Amino acid sequence: MSKLNETDIQGFVLRGYNLPFARYLFLQFEAAKRARSLIARLLGEITTGQRWDKGKPQSTVNIAFTFRGLEHLGLPDATLRSFPVEFQQGMKQRAEILGDTGVNSPEHWDDLWREDRVHAWLGINGVTMEALDARCLAILAIIEETGGAGALASQDAAAQVVDGKPTTKEHFGFTDGFGNPDYLGVDRSSQPGQGKLMPDGTWAPLATGELLLGYADEAGELPAAPIPHLLASNGTFMVYRKLHQNLATFRAFLDKQGSLYVGGKEKLAAKFIGRWRDGTPIEISPDNPNPAIAKDPSRNTDFTYGGDAEGARCPIGAHVRRVHPRDAFGFSGQLINRRRITRRGLPYGRFVPEGEPVTDKEERGVIFMALNANLSRQFEFVQQQWVQYGNDSHLGNDKDVLVGNHGGHGKFVVQGDASPGNPPFICSNLPDFVELRGGDYFFLPSITALGMIAMSLVDPR
Amino acid sequence: MPNNNGSVYGLTILSPIIDDAKATPSHDLQIRNYLAKLSTREDSPFALAPGTHLARLVVMDDVVFVGAPSCEEHLKSKYLIFESNLDGDLDSYLSGLAATIPDHLNAIWKHCVGYPGAANRQAFIDYMKACQLETTFFFAAVNNKSVSETLRALQTQTAVADFIASHQGANPAKLQRDFIQFVAKLKSLPLPKPGSMGPHREIKTGGRNE
Repeated sequence: MSKLNETDIQGFVLRGYNLPFARYLFLQFEAAKRARSLIARLLGEITTGQRWDKGKPQSTVNIAFTFRGLEHLGLPDATLRSFPVEFQQGMKQRAEILGDTGVNSPEHWDDLWREDRVHAWLGINGVTMEALDARCLAILAIIEETGGAGALASQDAAAQVVDGKPTTKEHFGFTDGFGNPDYLGVDRSSQPGQGKLMPDGTWAPLATGELLLGYADEAGELPAAPIPHLLASNGTFMVYRKLHQNLATFRAFLDKQGSLYVGGKEKLAAKFIGRWRDGTPIEISPDNPNPAIAKDPSRNTDFTYGGDAEGARCPIGAHVRRVHPRDAFGFSGQLINRRRITRRGLPYGRFVPEGEPVTDKEERGVIFMALNANLSRQFEFVQQQWVQYGNDSHLGNDKDVLVGNHGGHGKFVVQGDASPGNPPFICSNLPDFVELRGGDYFFLPSITALGMIAMSLVDPR
Repeated sequence: MPNNNGSVYGLTILSPIIDDAKATPSHDLQIRNYLAKLSTREDSPFALAPGTHLARLVVMDDVVFVGAPSCEEHLKSKYLIFESNLDGDLDSYLSGLAATIPDHLNAIWKHCVGYPGAANRQAFIDYMKACQLETTFFFAAVNNKSVSETLRALQTQTAVADFIASHQGANPAKLQRDFIQFVAKLKSLPLPKPGSMGPHREIKTGGRNE
């Protein structure tokens, strides 16, 4: 089994911090030497994967680079050219492959992402807004002092507060953040349903190399990685996508369709996602949400679709079934073990409770960040084949109901059955509930690799 | 019969490519160039000619040596490989290709040793069969239906889904009236063109090197 050096891996890779406030700073490097001196100064600030035995820190800091950023830091050509091509190209150039077309095409992105200027991402999280502000000021002071970079923009994100408590709800009202996989060697309270399905029906952690470079993956191979090995090892690739949510459109659509659907609005919402809004999996509890299940880690991800091949409980096109099909494609789930991603991220923008006036225009959405060892095989495949296409699940050209790029033409089928409360239902002329506003691919290096970059020690020979 | 799986026939043809050091570009590159520019949608030659479920044309230069402990081996010739899953009887299929897309066939196979051209139907069929290998095992996800049946089924599925979507909650009288009209209209619709039912994408595949 892989033994991980937790102090060499950025904490953001190994765990979701569950800190309610975040700010993502986007940097453009100045001259390479000064940029490297900035990295050297930041080295001691970076939060590692070390266990928090004495409780959570007040704030965390993590860092990642675009390909352009690594070029500006002066990495050797032989190293730069050894990065996987999709990372070298960046997310904008991959738009056609990802289905980022129409309203999602790069010409509609925020200026920040259209201009190819982002070199680095600094992810800062805080226990409180005050802690976050204080840490950001300290980091900005270091940036200023070294003159190593300019801060191009910042993006705030925060957990939605309901009844005074931070929650994991996103703007459409769904409880988020259930689906992350377990990996060998990663110290985490694992729960059934979060790794890979074994032939005997139990769940086991995925190979470490599905998340981290330098370790065996599910094929028993090392994931494609840049040279030298030490630069790549304990690092990973991150996808950053700013996903705008058209909340007014979503609510109006759900109200209208929910009034036509015999099961009612809340059940239809649950059919879209595969979970009731409180997080209860509809595969386990098809008729109503059940807080006892939603809150129980031993049950809320422990299900398969083998007994529901027709989608009577969880529709075949429901979001969670598309992006993590479990056993739905047969072969005890083995076809999906190399297509898993780890999700991070938080919502941004003002929360508007149901029933209050809301528009699509307001800045509101989710910062989607995904970690994987291989962008092309994992994130890009899921996005292209399972989100923007339906063939693997026998749904023809249908796309994911919530995040698919429909352009007003999409369709979502609730398969249902012959019982009166669960009839088949079709939603058609789907609008775009979610729009991409930009983002890029990042390399999230180990602490050792950061030190190598800072001290110009990256040697591909 | 090893070339058959239900009503589907698995065809494998290996045609040796002309080896001529004086030809520039070489014959194998000329085939590659022609194939690379063919459509994979409804104007693909195999969508225009009848009876093809799936077809693939590949130029095989040689056996690639992948390192020890495997031993180094080489082919005696470069080959054009033609794989096709087709409906029914081989003679009628080849005859259909020769009748519908002779220019495409000639442009591709004229670079192969001994190709007689598509104009002489029997010579063409005899040539293709002389190059044929037994397929022995193949997979075609076509449920033992013909190309026309499959296209009709896809058309029906899409149309029925659209009908249901536009008639949810309609009263029974309207539903029945519209459904009768719908069925009559569906029956009169022309068959969709092969290759026309997939999503339109600018890219041909999702490979990492595009």
